[in-house]
Amino acid sequence: MRMTVRVRVRNAETGSTVDMELEEENTVQEIIEGAAGYWEKDAGAYVIRKGKKLLRGQQTVLQASIIMSDDLELIPDPEGG
Amino acid sequence: MDRMAELLRVDHLEEDRWERSMRVGWLDMDAVRSAQVLVIGAGALGNEVVKNLALSGVRRITVVDMDQVARSNLNRCVFFREEDALSNMGKSEALAKRALELDPQLEVRPLIMRVEELEVAEFERHQIAFGCLDNIAARLHLNAHAYFHGIPLIDGGTLGTAGKVQVVVPPTTPCLQCAMNRTHLQVLEKRFSCTGADTSFYEPKLAAEITTTSVIAAIQVREGLKLISGQGDRCLRHLLYYNGLTNDIQELEVPLDLDCPVHARREV
Repeated sequence: MRMTVRVRVRNAETGSTVDMELEEENTVQEIIEGAAGYWEKDAGAYVIRKGKKLLRGQQTVLQASIIMSDDLELIPDPEGG
Repeated sequence: MDRMAELLRVDHLEEDRWERSMRVGWLDMDAVRSAQVLVIGAGALGNEVVKNLALSGVRRITVVDMDQVARSNLNRCVFFREEDALSNMGKSEALAKRALELDPQLEVRPLIMRVEELEVAEFERHQIAFGCLDNIAARLHLNAHAYFHGIPLIDGGTLGTAGKVQVVVPPTTPCLQCAMNRTHLQVLEKRFSCTGADTSFYEPKLAAEITTTSVIAAIQVREGLKLISGQGDRCLRHLLYYNGLTNDIQELEVPLDLDCPVHARREV
């Protein structure tokens, strides 16, 4: 049976949140793209953090130790100079 | 011996340019004065970084940038002037020229080129690199070369009121590429701040703000001074994220990506 977890993703730029249902094999990358698409973000670089840790894009939900009710945050990655 | 030459004057402390800097306990001014640093990018961040380096006593600075000064740079680049924009002066040239006004003993070497064109020997002759770039492709190039040559890279980035600093010290810390994902690759070649009419091909999401740039550049240079002064154990090891609207500063852990090609190359 596939395990699913429900997490809350916060938009660091606006403070709004959205709940996402994830499966173990979903990747952090997919969470980023899903949330960025939901908020119709401009093209740009984004990262997800869980607490004080940035999550690697290639990691799965399982590998990133994302569990039920986790709070994640979508952050735009500042690349200007 | 001329006894007059030994006389102490009450204002002698005011005549030494570096007297106040010498009082900073953790700062190794001899190391700072002899350091050779590489600054990649002479935009807003590059201007602020060079200003802070020069005022901190760093004397030998190489500045690399392919661009020319545009009038729209003048709201956030401390070394650029109207005449530089009118004459299409190279950013690194203008920066090198004006930095001498801060300290005539400075040796600022301007190189008008892309970081990708920089000779490998340039990485070998400098002991630390500052990333002040506006696109991910150039960042990745600098990241890989600095890591391969074993020189610390202190990278800064800004976006409106937000900014970041990441310190990469090979071979122990994660690198810039470790913190990237597919969204970075999707905007790999896009530039995030260029305003030159002849070169701009990307509309920045948020305008650059000099106050954010100043904060980020100050943190970059302080971390650099720590490394130069042998205080690396006090240095950032991950990524510092700054939110100027909420006054929030946090160090976020970047996990080392063992599949990252930069580290894999290092281990070969």
